[in-house]
Amino acid sequence: MRRIVCTFVVNGVTRELLVETNALLSEVLQDDLGLKGVHVGCGTGDCGACTVLVDGLPVLSCSTLAVTVRGKEITTVEGMANGTKLHPLQESFIEHGALQCGYCTPGMLLASKRLLEINPSPSRQDIKDALAGHLCRCTGYNKIVDAVMAAAEGEE
Amino acid sequence: MILPGFEYRKAASVAEAIAFYNDFQGKARYLAGGTDLMPLLKYRLSTPAAVVDLKGIQELGAISADHGWLTIGANVTLFDLKNDPVVKEYFPVLCQSLEATSCETLQMRGTIGGNLLQDTRCIEYNKTMEWRTARGFCLKMGGETCNVVPHSRICLSNYCSDNALSLIALSAEVSLAGPEGDKTTGLEKIFSGCGSRVFALGPGEILTRIRIPMEKSRGVYEKLRVRNSIDYPLAAVAVAMRQNGARVCVGGVGPAPRVYDLTGTDAGSVRDGAQKAYTDARAVPNSTLSPTYRRKMVRALFRRAVNKILSEGK
Ligand SMILES: Cc1cc2nc3c(=O)[nH]c(=O)nc-3n(C[C@H](O)[C@H](O)[C@H](O)COP(=O)(O)OP(=O)(O)OC[C@H]3O[C@@H](n4cnc5c(N)ncnc54)[C@H](O)[C@@H]3O)c2cc1C
Ligand code: FES
Ligand code: FES
Repeated sequence: MRRIVCTFVVNGVTRELLVETNALLSEVLQDDLGLKGVHVGCGTGDCGACTVLVDGLPVLSCSTLAVTVRGKEITTVEGMANGTKLHPLQESFIEHGALQCGYCTPGMLLASKRLLEINPSPSRQDIKDALAGHLCRCTGYNKIVDAVMAAAEGEE
Repeated sequence: MILPGFEYRKAASVAEAIAFYNDFQGKARYLAGGTDLMPLLKYRLSTPAAVVDLKGIQELGAISADHGWLTIGANVTLFDLKNDPVVKEYFPVLCQSLEATSCETLQMRGTIGGNLLQDTRCIEYNKTMEWRTARGFCLKMGGETCNVVPHSRICLSNYCSDNALSLIALSAEVSLAGPEGDKTTGLEKIFSGCGSRVFALGPGEILTRIRIPMEKSRGVYEKLRVRNSIDYPLAAVAVAMRQNGARVCVGGVGPAPRVYDLTGTDAGSVRDGAQKAYTDARAVPNSTLSPTYRRKMVRALFRRAVNKILSEGK
């Protein structure tokens, strides 16, 4: 199997790595870059926990070959806070009790971030549509929708 | 779950992709969004020597409307297609089936080409290597018999593309390019009817474009699934109504969609059409819902979809 030199801009920092042709984006982010906020749940596209943003779009890192996103900007949950200052969505999730075990949270946050970028004042249904591919076994979803609504209202 | 080992090639043109396919003596798989292929590779349901990435082929990424056709490149994502103004205005059935496909995250990654050429599904097939080895390989994995219907000689795994149904109802055609040359054919003709070899395509053929006659239509898509947020269809019906009649396509049950051209839309014709679809549906216990229920739902969804259009028209 071959290795390919790949450049990624991960959370604003340019990284150059040797990547195996069959490496998943989730594996490169977790194992090579130590980004443990990338949570892999099902590994088959069903749960959304592994979602990261690639050039601003939500992508399932468990089902994406790392070599296919060479040269792109990748945002993981680690890239949301500004230093020690949390992103307004993260603040809102804490405020509204929108996480318990936290396994689904990185995916939920990143997909919500993208939603608010294209639709700054979403309806509850818009939020449910954007988060439809994200499973949460703990919260019952309502608190997550509340948190995203509140973050959107706070930013207006 | 880790992937098996394979080489990776990124093609810049259709010709280059076919050349890569030939370089690996046909032991290559094409990759678009990967949402269908990646899980198959993880489960070792496919172990190619190489994966040939089609996403770099610019010409497959466009939507254009001219000469009486809407032409859609195979690499267009489901999300972009769903938001296309022509699709919204002319083809409501396609808009609805795109909306009903998986979830927004997958729609942004999944392409229409990959959607049409996705593998069929079965509760005995979409499983890990360990699970399948313990159970014994079925027809679709090269084994002797079907694990759902013992002694069956044909695989009845389910073809679960939502958008194939609406595109067939809209009389769409597909263009294919392969080592043997190019051709264009009705979408409903690319199916073999057998779940262990789903498509009647030549080796190395690439789906390049889909085209739909630019005629305004009325349409409804009805889909049965357990979780509305993400699930594949367990039975589904697409109807497109144009000036010269209604075309109905039934899917989610068995390895190929079935087409019904309704000559009339009076209550009797609709009832007869729905009954015929019920009789034709070969549902077996290979999904999470009972086959009897799925068959009955084919009939119910057929009537519901046609009647919905008729009542909208009043
Ligand atoms: C959780 C989950 C839920 C899903 N739910 C649905 C659903 O409700 N409805 C539905 O229809 N689908 C569903 N899907 C399936 C899949 O996401 C979509 O069908 C998607 O559109 C596939 O496109 P892709 O670009 O990712 O295909 P890929 O995985 O890249 O390719 C699929 C297949 O087509 C081949 N291929 C791709 N492009 C070409 C081409 N141009 N020429 C020749 N061969 C090609 C590949 O070799 C592969 O065999 C679901 C998937 C997941 C993981
Ligand atoms: S881990 Fe990627 S979708 Fe579940
Ligand atoms: S907080 Fe536990 S899965 Fe969502």
